[in-house]
Amino acid sequence: MILLACKKEDTLFVYLEPEKSGIEFANILDTDDTVNILDYLYYYNGGGVSIGDVNNDGLPDIYLSGNRVPNKLYLNKGGLRFEDITETAGVSGTGNWNTGTVMADVNGDGYLDIFVSAVSGIHDFQGHHELFINQGDLTFKEMSEAYNLNLESYGTHAAFFDYDLDGDLDLYLLNHAVHTQESYGDVSLRDQRNPKTGDRLMRNDGDHFTDVSEAAGIYGGINGFGLGIAVSDFDKNGYPDLYIGNDFHEDDYFYLNQGDGTFKESVKAHFKHISRFSMGNDVADINHDGWPDLLSLDMLPEKEIPLKASEGDDNVQMMKLRTQKLGYHYQFTRNMLQLNRGGEFFTEAALHSGIAATDWSWSALFSDFNQDGNQDLFIANGIPKRPNDLDYIRFISSGEIKASLNPAKGIDKEALDRMPSGTVPNYIFEGSDSLFFSDRSNTWLPKETTNATAAAYGDLDLDGDLDLVINNVNAPATVLINQTDQKATRFLKLKLKANGKNSFGTGTKVTAYSNGKIYFRELYPVRGFQSSSEPFVHIGFPGNVAEIDSVLITWPDRSETLLRDVPTNTTLKTVQQDTYERGVETPLRNSLLFEKSKNNLGIDYVHTEDNYVDFNNHKLIPYQVSDRGPAFASGDLNGDGKTDLFFGSSRYFPSKIYLQNEDGFTEQNFDAVAGDSISEDTGALILDFDNNGLNDLITTTGGAHFFGKAAPLLDHYYAGEAGMLVKKQLPESYQNNNVIAAADYDGDGDLDLFLGSHTNSDDFGVLPESVFLLNEKGVFREDGKQQPGSVGMVTDAVWQDINEDGWPDLLVVGEWMSPVLFMNEKGSLKRASSVIPDKLNGLWQAVQPFDIDDDGDLDFILGNWGSNTKFRATEQAPLRMYHHDFDKNGKRETIVTQEHNGEYYTFDGLDHLASQMPTLMRKKFTRYRDFAGKPIHEVIDQSLLDQAQKLEVHELRSGILLNEEGIFKFIPFGEDLQLAPITAFTLQDFNKDGQPEVLAGGNYFGVRPYHGRFDGFPGALITDIDNVHLTHEYGLNLSGKAIRALDVIEFAGDSYLVVTINNSEAEIYRINNPKINE
Amino acid sequence: MNKPIVILVTVFLILQSCSRNEAPIAIRADHFHQSVDETVEVMIHDIFSPPVASRIFAYPNIAAYEIIALDDANYNSLAGQVNGLTPIPEPEEEGVNMDLAAMIAHMQLSKSLIFSEEKLATYQDSVLNQWQKENSSEFNKTKEYAEKVVAHIRDWMDKDNYKQTRTMPKFTVRSEEPGRWQPTPPAYMDGIEPHWNKIRPFTLDSASQFKPAPPAPFSMEEGSEFHKELMEVYEVGNKITSDESEEVAIAQFWDCNPYVSVTRGHLMFATKKITPGAHWIGICKIACKQTDSDFRKTVMAYTKTSIAIADGFISCWDEKYRSNLIRPETLINKYIDDNWKPILQTPPFPEYTSGHSVVSGAASEALTSVFGEDFAFDDDTELPYGLPVRSFKSFRNAAEEAAISRMYGGIHYRMAIEVGLDQGRNLGDYVVENLDMQSEETIAEKE
Repeated sequence: MILLACKKEDTLFVYLEPEKSGIEFANILDTDDTVNILDYLYYYNGGGVSIGDVNNDGLPDIYLSGNRVPNKLYLNKGGLRFEDITETAGVSGTGNWNTGTVMADVNGDGYLDIFVSAVSGIHDFQGHHELFINQGDLTFKEMSEAYNLNLESYGTHAAFFDYDLDGDLDLYLLNHAVHTQESYGDVSLRDQRNPKTGDRLMRNDGDHFTDVSEAAGIYGGINGFGLGIAVSDFDKNGYPDLYIGNDFHEDDYFYLNQGDGTFKESVKAHFKHISRFSMGNDVADINHDGWPDLLSLDMLPEKEIPLKASEGDDNVQMMKLRTQKLGYHYQFTRNMLQLNRGGEFFTEAALHSGIAATDWSWSALFSDFNQDGNQDLFIANGIPKRPNDLDYIRFISSGEIKASLNPAKGIDKEALDRMPSGTVPNYIFEGSDSLFFSDRSNTWLPKETTNATAAAYGDLDLDGDLDLVINNVNAPATVLINQTDQKATRFLKLKLKANGKNSFGTGTKVTAYSNGKIYFRELYPVRGFQSSSEPFVHIGFPGNVAEIDSVLITWPDRSETLLRDVPTNTTLKTVQQDTYERGVETPLRNSLLFEKSKNNLGIDYVHTEDNYVDFNNHKLIPYQVSDRGPAFASGDLNGDGKTDLFFGSSRYFPSKIYLQNEDGFTEQNFDAVAGDSISEDTGALILDFDNNGLNDLITTTGGAHFFGKAAPLLDHYYAGEAGMLVKKQLPESYQNNNVIAAADYDGDGDLDLFLGSHTNSDDFGVLPESVFLLNEKGVFREDGKQQPGSVGMVTDAVWQDINEDGWPDLLVVGEWMSPVLFMNEKGSLKRASSVIPDKLNGLWQAVQPFDIDDDGDLDFILGNWGSNTKFRATEQAPLRMYHHDFDKNGKRETIVTQEHNGEYYTFDGLDHLASQMPTLMRKKFTRYRDFAGKPIHEVIDQSLLDQAQKLEVHELRSGILLNEEGIFKFIPFGEDLQLAPITAFTLQDFNKDGQPEVLAGGNYFGVRPYHGRFDGFPGALITDIDNVHLTHEYGLNLSGKAIRALDVIEFAGDSYLVVTINNSEAEIYRINNPKINE
Repeated sequence: MNKPIVILVTVFLILQSCSRNEAPIAIRADHFHQSVDETVEVMIHDIFSPPVASRIFAYPNIAAYEIIALDDANYNSLAGQVNGLTPIPEPEEEGVNMDLAAMIAHMQLSKSLIFSEEKLATYQDSVLNQWQKENSSEFNKTKEYAEKVVAHIRDWMDKDNYKQTRTMPKFTVRSEEPGRWQPTPPAYMDGIEPHWNKIRPFTLDSASQFKPAPPAPFSMEEGSEFHKELMEVYEVGNKITSDESEEVAIAQFWDCNPYVSVTRGHLMFATKKITPGAHWIGICKIACKQTDSDFRKTVMAYTKTSIAIADGFISCWDEKYRSNLIRPETLINKYIDDNWKPILQTPPFPEYTSGHSVVSGAASEALTSVFGEDFAFDDDTELPYGLPVRSFKSFRNAAEEAAISRMYGGIHYRMAIEVGLDQGRNLGDYVVENLDMQSEETIAEKE
């Protein structure tokens, strides 16, 4: 261990030497231990920390638990000096494998008691959980037996909280399983209740605790590897809920407290995806919306070398098996920041926030460490031995273990010695007014190289800011003193005493209102990992806040105390008094603009994606191309004046047409269309192309399954003739066209076409040819004078008369390209230059014309990939994709690279690259550490890279192409619209205020598990640049659904929204009339 | 001024005379054994799947064999006998040591086929340096020639579709079809080499030439043929209670799984062994040594055995991804006992037919044709992997044990073993009958 002493001004936190503080506790694991990480998987999980004032002298004391070493209690003597009073206090403990620790007033006598979890009953681990009851005189009595808490289980941690609101503290015991991780087993394993490994809920019945787990609906199965516990009233119904983080295959549990003594596990209903190897976690409102958000830690490395040298996520097929067959939720290996959307659901944003990858992370603590008004984040990291190192797994371990693989004999110690170190420095991030966190590890923390596990905060020196105590493995505990300048920053500290036995106010909510901002806190001291922090509420404020407008205290029994004009830089001791009752908080709801139609107006269309996995065929493509359907079009198809609907289909499934009648919609078979079911429809348009007064239907076809000159790739033209659709010819085009846009661009009175092509199915990376088709009396032919050519991987296009010369111009968007504008000069389409910014290549998904600034000219709204992704792209450091036959086997492949600290690296790891180019990669890199950290030009020869086609992306954010007198400027939307791809728009005056709004939908899942799932966009109503609202507040929550089309139709005098979704049923919402609350 | 010239001339003469006096480099059978053994070591490290490993054995052996056949009337070239092979070039100058050329060709091709070249280079460089020191002129000429042969064989090898199969689609898992293969614990790896039947075979007219009868139709109905087969695997596994039992010993001896993944918590590691093909290559070595076979016969024996093995894998993999049959472990875990684990780790490809059975059948026939029917031997191939020696009465006896070991191991149904062994034997007989490697005289001499 190296700890460099730092001068005060160097870092926000400075290291307090053990010799100075007197805190010499070190959680030492003897290398001669009878147990090691090969025998016991949680050998390096470390001990715990609890901070609290055990003698009520105003100074917080520190308790540290050790796995093998005795636990220690340090009495705070003031002046940052501590005295080891373990022996006299009688709290060293008797277990020989202690884990988490909590301070809580269990018996309600006003003194903090100490609870220590233990692992007992495996290996040589003996003992039980211990409860040290504070006698009020700096001595404690171990009374776990009397309280019925002397349980022997595989304990990780515990949390005291009052789940039944009866005024005393109940206990949740977090245990971990030892079930094999070699086979998955399905989710029913959680029903096999086991007292050793299963979690338990223990109700406080005054003088003892009663196990109520089963009746309360708490799982106690054999596969719950419980490592994280967070207590919070997530849905603000007044009753505390739980989030339990489970390592390995088992899902995390989200227990919503039903208020009747039971909990309802609801993780799938409220979270779209969760962390996979869930470790510690923390809950805090990070975005000032008054709702508690959650961070669940995992183990994704940030740095190139460990990232590429460590085992990664599942493959696509295993993900399908786990989620579809075994019943597990979507789990991905990275930290997950779950934003609480009004208690209804969570949107995951860790990639956008910059906190997804912090390597082997144990403890997360949100707090305003620099007291600027925003929550910061500390993460404790590291493991002495990194068992997921790929070289170790594939090459090193085998040599050592080869001959001696007999579990009874134990494993060669050399095998352990050869396992590489996973020591990683701790991280600290500075929060901001946005969702983004800035890494301040180098400037806020002194340099150190310990393996930190548990961590807790408290104000050890009573200067108002929060200091940290960290329990390390094989090193003395670290105490970090916060040097935040009290004069420049502001804080408010509240010590709370609730009624009854809850003398430290556990479960109290505090909401401060200052300068129009909400600062929301809940007092649950158990947070992070195996730890409890000092039981008070701490809020930081910007330096100019001398006085807080008001502070609302919501006590556990839901009575409230309102304090006005509260000065900052003070510590308030507040007793529950001067309260007034308030009922259950009902969140303010906007009246519902969108209301799900009960019978879907008779539309029973379900889009079913076939089983095709693009990645099985083209292992290196960055995302799928076969899942961009279904196509959708609306228009009157039978000449009765009513709007009918067309839904395309995936391969082999028939498309469907629904005709509107008085009662709703009825499916109608058209033989001509049904005959083309083998095709995958990707685009559709209903208009009168042959000018016979009846609408016709044109569909374009694609999907990735067909390639070359496959007949199913031919587009279709069905002419409307007196209630029939008659098939007509289109010029032969085998392109994967998925865009169709019509306008009379040659001014001859009929509709001409732009057919935009997305990809060449069997050669992703090649720029396909799009076409202009001229309409000559209802017959289309390729425009001989002009063609758009290989304009790019087109995803959307619109005809609009941008310069108001009476001739429609064309804007085309797509992936790995900039928006392209074709200006129409009297029928001659010319690609405009210098009108759209040069470096605006995006992964554009959709475009919508809309005069967003109401200045009379047309702007365009652009849907992009979003910034909540592992892809990174800027103008200076674009995302780059090479396309070439690198391994000279006659077939081209793509290699995606991105910038990291000034160099470009392959996005994918060695195994992935080698799955497509085995000889090229494996010959060059026989070990993972040879590959890890190598920039692209050292992976692939520069000469090959020079021959390759190079595609770039500069911008991943969705935004506005703002028209400023014919010159367009890109303005990105706010963060809410960047958390997932935006794929569909529709323009409508939804609120009937005479001005149209744009409704945006999105989400996309066609990526490998390494990317996760882009599921966090509920939809948004865009009124103007500053007026963008997520639609879940208006009754329309499209998160978790991959939206392909949005459209508004009229039926029986009302407007309805038609939502077309990939691999799901179409949804119909009635649009009600109330105005949008501004 | 004349003096230096005289000296130069003298030096030249000395050099000339030196090389003239050098003896030819002597190549022994052990050289070849060692080259094969060293290659096997690196193959284990690099983790090649069994089919790919079989290809790595075959081509270097054939290169060595073709050089010998060119030089020795006792052996016939395989050109025209195996698919696509044309005669190798003849040496253009005098003084090429054909045995040495065979060695160099074997070493160079082996090195190009494995990944970790530096591991093989340490051994190869030291041997090559030694030879060069012994007789540099002969060595250099021979090396030049060997490289021409290597280029010739490589051209032929490159047309076997191996490269193209690298870009072909992965096996698509469709778990809604109950009898279809699914990835198995603990690594749940993708199905390995789903397009191996598109690799050009050596002797077969097509991958499906020895297409076996289809497996019993999938059914979980009690009393159905398939269900009985499944229950037999489960019950055989249950009956074996002791780790010391003969069945466990047999199963482990023939495990031959190049990559057994072990998971404990976040910790994973692999135990690696030779492949089934490499085990039979090891038996070939034992037989060569036991009969004190000379270098050339040794090369011939390896070549024949490795061709039978390679074609065995092509034939077997053709059936595996035709029937796509689910492994017993998946079904037993799902329907019978979710804690059941086979004694061996289930390898990552469909069940039917058993690869080890096919390959053992094929290799045993090839070896029998070279060394005779009742060739008893002690098999110590697995000693380096901590397994004991086992004794066999004959190659066929060993093949039978290898086949049934897969049921003891809990990874195959009986039908895959019995049908697989037949499939392999028929294929082996075909290889023996169709490859005319020894001239009439040699065979007569032997008899």
